[in-house]
Amino acid sequence: MFTRTDDKITASQAAVFLNNSVLGAGILTLPRGVSEAVKTPDSWISILLSGVIVMLVILLMVKLSQQFPGQTVFQYAGRISGKFIGGLLCLLLAIYFVVLAGFEIRSLAEVTLFFLLEGTPIWAVIVPFIWAGTYLVCGGINSIARVFQIILPISIVVLLISYGVSLRLFNLDHLRPVLSDGIAPVLRGLKPTVLVYTGCEVTMTLVAFMQQPRQAVKAMLAGIGLPLCLYLLTVLVVIGGLSIDSAITSTWPTIDLIRSFEITGFFVERLEFPLMVIWLMQMFCNFCSFFFQASLGFSQIFRLKLKPVIFVMVPLIFLASMVPKSVGDVFALGDAIGNMGIALFILIPLLHSGIWLLRKKGVKQNG
Amino acid sequence: MLSSIIAHIPDWLVFFQAAIAFLLPVGANYLYNILNAWGNTGRFTAAAAGRNAAHKDKTALSASQPSPSSASGTPFSGNYAADLQAIRSAIGSNSDLHFREFPLTKLHTKGTLIYVDGMQNDRLLNLRIMEYLMFEATADTLASPLNSVPAMPFSDLTAAADLTAFNRSVLFGHAGLLIDGMPHGLLIELPGGANRSVTEPVSEALLRGPRLGFSEVLSENTSMLRCQGFSDGLELKSYRIGNQMQKDLVIAYMKDIVNPELLQEVETRISTIDSDFLAESGYVEQLIEDNWLSPFQQVQNTERPDRVISALMEGRIAILLNGTPFALIVPVTFSMLLQSPEDYYERWLPGSLLRMLRFAAAFLALMAPALYISFISFHPGLIPTELAISIIEARQGVPFPSIIEVLILEVSIEILREAGIRLPKPVGPAMGIVGGLIIGDAAVNAGIVSPFLVIVVAVTAISSFSIPMYSAGITLRLLRFAGMLFAAFLGMFGTILFFLLLCSHLTKLKSFGVPYLTPVSPFRLRDWKDLFFRAPLSLMKRRPAMLKTQNDRRKSKV
Amino acid sequence: MVRRTVIVSLCLLFSVLTSGCWSSKEIEDLALYTGLALDVGEPAPVEKEFEEKGGTYSKQNKVVATVQVVPIKSASGSMDKKGGGGGGQQKPYSNVSGAGDSILEIFRQFSIRRDRPIIGHHLKVIIISAELLKRQTISQLMDFVMRDNDIRPSTMVYISQGTARDTLTSDQPNEIPSFHIMGMIRNQSRTSKVLSPVTLARLDALTYSKRSFVLQNLIKGDGEVEFSGAGIVKGDTGHWIGFLNQEDTECVAWLNNEGKAGAIKAYDSSGEPMTYEIKAMDSKITATADGGCISFSVKLSSEGRFIETWNDQDTSSSQEFADNAGRIFEAKLAKMMQALLGKLQNEYQCDAAGFGDKLAIQQPAVWKEVKDHWDEAFSKAKIEITYDLKITDFGSFTE
Repeated sequence: MFTRTDDKITASQAAVFLNNSVLGAGILTLPRGVSEAVKTPDSWISILLSGVIVMLVILLMVKLSQQFPGQTVFQYAGRISGKFIGGLLCLLLAIYFVVLAGFEIRSLAEVTLFFLLEGTPIWAVIVPFIWAGTYLVCGGINSIARVFQIILPISIVVLLISYGVSLRLFNLDHLRPVLSDGIAPVLRGLKPTVLVYTGCEVTMTLVAFMQQPRQAVKAMLAGIGLPLCLYLLTVLVVIGGLSIDSAITSTWPTIDLIRSFEITGFFVERLEFPLMVIWLMQMFCNFCSFFFQASLGFSQIFRLKLKPVIFVMVPLIFLASMVPKSVGDVFALGDAIGNMGIALFILIPLLHSGIWLLRKKGVKQNG
Repeated sequence: MLSSIIAHIPDWLVFFQAAIAFLLPVGANYLYNILNAWGNTGRFTAAAAGRNAAHKDKTALSASQPSPSSASGTPFSGNYAADLQAIRSAIGSNSDLHFREFPLTKLHTKGTLIYVDGMQNDRLLNLRIMEYLMFEATADTLASPLNSVPAMPFSDLTAAADLTAFNRSVLFGHAGLLIDGMPHGLLIELPGGANRSVTEPVSEALLRGPRLGFSEVLSENTSMLRCQGFSDGLELKSYRIGNQMQKDLVIAYMKDIVNPELLQEVETRISTIDSDFLAESGYVEQLIEDNWLSPFQQVQNTERPDRVISALMEGRIAILLNGTPFALIVPVTFSMLLQSPEDYYERWLPGSLLRMLRFAAAFLALMAPALYISFISFHPGLIPTELAISIIEARQGVPFPSIIEVLILEVSIEILREAGIRLPKPVGPAMGIVGGLIIGDAAVNAGIVSPFLVIVVAVTAISSFSIPMYSAGITLRLLRFAGMLFAAFLGMFGTILFFLLLCSHLTKLKSFGVPYLTPVSPFRLRDWKDLFFRAPLSLMKRRPAMLKTQNDRRKSKV
Repeated sequence: MVRRTVIVSLCLLFSVLTSGCWSSKEIEDLALYTGLALDVGEPAPVEKEFEEKGGTYSKQNKVVATVQVVPIKSASGSMDKKGGGGGGQQKPYSNVSGAGDSILEIFRQFSIRRDRPIIGHHLKVIIISAELLKRQTISQLMDFVMRDNDIRPSTMVYISQGTARDTLTSDQPNEIPSFHIMGMIRNQSRTSKVLSPVTLARLDALTYSKRSFVLQNLIKGDGEVEFSGAGIVKGDTGHWIGFLNQEDTECVAWLNNEGKAGAIKAYDSSGEPMTYEIKAMDSKITATADGGCISFSVKLSSEGRFIETWNDQDTSSSQEFADNAGRIFEAKLAKMMQALLGKLQNEYQCDAAGFGDKLAIQQPAVWKEVKDHWDEAFSKAKIEITYDLKITDFGSFTE
C-alpha cells in the first residue's frame, strides 16, 4: 500500500504516545511533591521503585489488551464484565480522562499566568489552547502520534541542555546521605511518585491502534522507561542543584532551578525561556493525548462518531479546567486524580484480568 | 460535601465561555466543510479519486484521446472542394491563415497547403515541401501516407481524424495539406512558434551545477530529460488537457523505480483535471494538490532538468506542461523545500552545513518577528539584562507598540521586495538594497521604529532569501504575519501555540499519499541521511523509504 | 455567511491590534530595577516632604527599601537624583527610596510617584544592612522576594556594614552600581576573599533548614564599595550576629571548598614579607562521633607558587627552601584558621562553615540527635586541622 488508509500507529509511535501522555505537569512539580513526602534526599530511589511498579502495571494492561486485538478498553471491558458494569467503568475512565485533560490544561494555565502572562484572564489562555488541541485531535491518532514524534526529541534535547547547564549548581552533598533514615521515607515517597505516572491508562487503548500488537510490550515499556529516566534525572538535578530544603518550599522547583542561574554572555542568558517553551509543548501533547482518549471513550461507549464527540468534549474540558478556584485547589485536584487513577487501576485492569482469567479457566474446564 | 461541590461549580460566565469555546470549533468545522465542498468543484477530490480508481482503464483511455469533443467533430467528406469550403468557412476568417493552392504535377490534381503565418519556422523546409508535393509526390505515396512515411521527406506526417481536429491543428501551427482525391487532410511538420533560447534558470541559480534550464517548448524539455543519460527506464506519458484550448502535458517517471500505485494516483488526478485552459504548470499544481486550503505547496516546481531527473531517480514523478519552463515534481515533502541541488554537488560537509543553515534561516524567517514582539511586549524578563537595557534605550520615543512597529517595517519590506521583482533587471536588486537601507535608516531617524527592530527585520528578510524555493519562501512570509498576530495576542504562549498549530497542520498534510513531514514524522531513520545532513554519496545506498520504490538500491552492490 | 465571518474576524483582529492585549506592556514603558537595598526605617528626605504635606498612609516605618532603576529616561532631567552629588553629568541610574512595613507595599507606593511601573525580572543584587538584620530576621525580609514571580532566584544577597542604600551609589560617571557589585564576583578566580554568592535559591534552603551561614559583607568608602569579609546570620534566630574579617572569610571559603585562588602572606625569619600564590586548594572534613563527643578532622591541602619575597639575600629555589617556606606559610594559615574557629566556636557559637552538613552526611544518626541544637553542639565540638601546603614552583625565577 502506498497510501495508508488505516489509522494505525507504529511501535515507536506508540511508545512516544505513551511517553508524551505520562510526561506532563509532573516535570515541574515532582521534586517538591516527592521531597515533601520523603524529607530525605532519597527521593530518587522512590522514583526508581515506583517506576518499576508502574512498569508492572503497564505490563498487566498490555497483556490484558492483547487478548482483544484491535479493541480498546472501552470495547472489551463490556465483553469481560458485562455490558452494564463494563460500560459504567469505561464511563468512569472516560470521565477520568476529561478531568485529567482539564487538570493538565489548568496547571499549564497556572504556570503560564504566573511566569509569562500575568494579567491575562485565564480563559484567554485555556480556550485557544483547547482549540489548537481540537484541531490536532480531529486528525486522529496518527496525526497526534506524528506531532508527538516531532515534539519529543525537541523537548528532550532542550531539557537535557537545561539540566546540563544547571550542573554548575549541582552539589553531590545535597543528595547525601543515602538512606540515612532507612527505607521508610522511600516508601512514603512512593505514592506521590506513582501519581506522576497518571495517564499511563492510555496503554489500554493504544495497543488496539498498533500495527503490530505483538510488539506492544516492548513499545509500552520503552514508552514508560523514557519518562522514568527523565523524572529520575529531574529529581536528581533539582535536588542536587537546589538541595531538598529549597525544593520543598518552591511551588515549581524545576523552573526555580533553571531560574537560579544566569549564563551571562550567552544569547539566551535565561534558560527558563527554552524550558518554558518545551514544557508548554509537552503539555500540549499531554493534553491532546487525554483529549483524544476521552473523546474516543465517549464515542465508543455510546457508539457515536468521533468528530462530534470531540467538539462536545471542548466545553466539558474547559469546565473541568475551571473547577479549581485556586492553585491549592489545582494541586488538590491533582491528588484526587492520582487517587482516582489508582482506584481505576484496581477496577479496570486488575479486576478485569482477574475475571478474564477465571472465565478462561472456566471455559477450559467446561470444554 | 454538597456545599463544597456547589462552591466549586463555576459561575455563569464560565459556562458562557464554555459555550463560546464549543461554538467556535464547530463553526470553524462547518465553515471548513462548506469551503471544501465549494472549492473542490472542478478539481481533483479524494472522493473523485476513489471513483476514478475504480474505472481506471476507462478514464486512462479517454484521457489519452485528444479530447472528448473530437468524437463529435465533423468527418471529412472526402470531396476536396467540399472539405476546402468547410475549412474556409470554419477558420477562413483568420487573417493570418494562408491557403496556398497548387497543382500536383505527377497526379494531375490540385492540393491546398494551409498554414498560419509565422509558425512554420523553416522557410527552406517549407519550400522543400512544396517542391516535393508539386513535382515528386505520387498517388501511392500519398494514398497511404502513414505506411510510407520513410519515403517522404517529412519527419512528422499524420492524417487528421476529422475536420475539427484538422482545423485546430492548423491553427496550432501545423501545416495542413488537403489533396484532391485523398480522404483525409494531412498534417505536416511540427509547429514552430516564437521561442527563446535555452538559458540558465533564473529562479534557481546555482554556483555549481548545470546551467541548463527548461524552456517553454515541451519537446525541448523532454529532450533535456532524455539527454541526462542513457537509460531505457525513463518513460514519458503524454496527455492533452484543457477543454477550450488544449495543451500537451507529459508525465515523466522511471518505470523500473516508481511505485505503480503512486503513478496510478498521479494519472488519475491528471485525468480528472477539468479546466478550459492551463496557462502554466501552476494551474496543474493547484488542480491536483491534496489540500487547497493549506498554505504549504504540495507540489514542487523547478526549472532545472537535473533536479527533475534526480527526483525521478528517487522514485518521484515529474509533470511537464507545454508552454512553461516550470516542471512539477510530486510527491514533495517539507524537507525538499529547503534543499538545493548544490547540496549534492558540493562535498558532503559543506553541503550539510549549508542545509542546516537553511533550516535555521527558515526558522528565523518564520519566527523572528513573532519572537521580537513577544519579548518586547510581553516578556521583558526573558531577555538578558544588558540587552533589555539597550533595547529600552533604543526604543525610547518609539510611539507604537511593537506589533504596529513590526508591521510597518515588515509590510514596507515586503512591498519593496515585490517592487524589486517588477523593476528592470539592472535596477531591481540595487533598489531593494538601497530602498531597504534608506527606509530602515529613515524610519529609525524619524523615531517610528527602533534600530533593534531594523536588525530583526533585516535578518528575517535575508533569511527568507536564503530559502532555495521561491514558492516556499512566499509561504513562510505569509505565515510570518500569522505568527506575529499570535505573538501580539498572547506573547510567547501565542507563539508556541502558533508553532503547535503549524506542526499539527503539517502532520495532517499529505502530498500524494506521502506525509508532508516524512522522514521526521512518521519517523524513517533511513531517510534521515538526506534531511538535516547530507550524508556522503557513498552512504546513499538506497532510495528514500517514504516513496516505497520498486527497486530501492542505488548501488549495484549494497 | 462567509463574508460576515470575515468581517467579524477582521473587527476582532483590529480591536486586538489597536488595544493590545491583556499582558502586553511595552518594554520601554517599564522600569527595570537591578538593585534593592534594605535599611532600617527612617523616611528619605523626599518622603519626609511628602509626609509633611499629608502624603502618608498607616505604617510603622520598619524598613526602608531602595531600588535602583535603570535606565532612566535620557530626555528628562527632572528625575530625582539622589544617587550622590554627581556634577553636571547625568547618572545612568536613579535610586528611589521608600519607608514602610511591607516591601511590596513600598514598591506599590513607588507607583504613585513614578511614570513607569517597576519590574523585578532583572533584579541582580539585594543588599541588607546589618543593622536591619539585627532587628528583623532574614526570612522576614526575604519573604517577598522569594515569593515574587518576577524576581529570579538567581538574585544575589549581600549584607552591608553601613547603610545599604549607600552601596548602590557610585562616583563613576557611567557605572551602574548594582552591576558593579555583581561583576565583582568574577574576582573569585583571584581571591577567596570573594565568597560564592548566596543566591535567593540558596538562601531559601538555608533559611528553611535554619542553618547558620555567612553573607558577603559590603562596605562603602569614598565612592567605592568593597567586599570586606562576611556577616554571620545565625540559623535559629535568623538575625545577624557579627562580622568575620577578610582573612576569616578566606578560611571559611577554604573550609567550604569554595575557594579557588588566593594569596597567603607571611613574614620570614628576617621579618621580610613573602607571598604564596594558591593555585589549588582543597579541604576534606571528616566527622567522627564518639559517644556524645563530636569531633572533626580537617585536612587542608594546597598547591601553589612562591610568588614574591622581599628578602634580597635568601632567594634560593631549592627544595629545602621550599619546605622551609611552606612551613612558615602553614603556620600563618594555622593562625588564621584558629582565629576563625575561635570566633565561630566561642565568640558567635554558630557553625557558619558547613561542618554540620558534613556531619549530616557522614554520621546521619548523630546528626539527627544534635540537629535541633547544632550551633550549641558545634561550639563544643573538637576540630583538628592538618595542613599540607606544597610549593610547586617559584614562578619564572630560578637561581
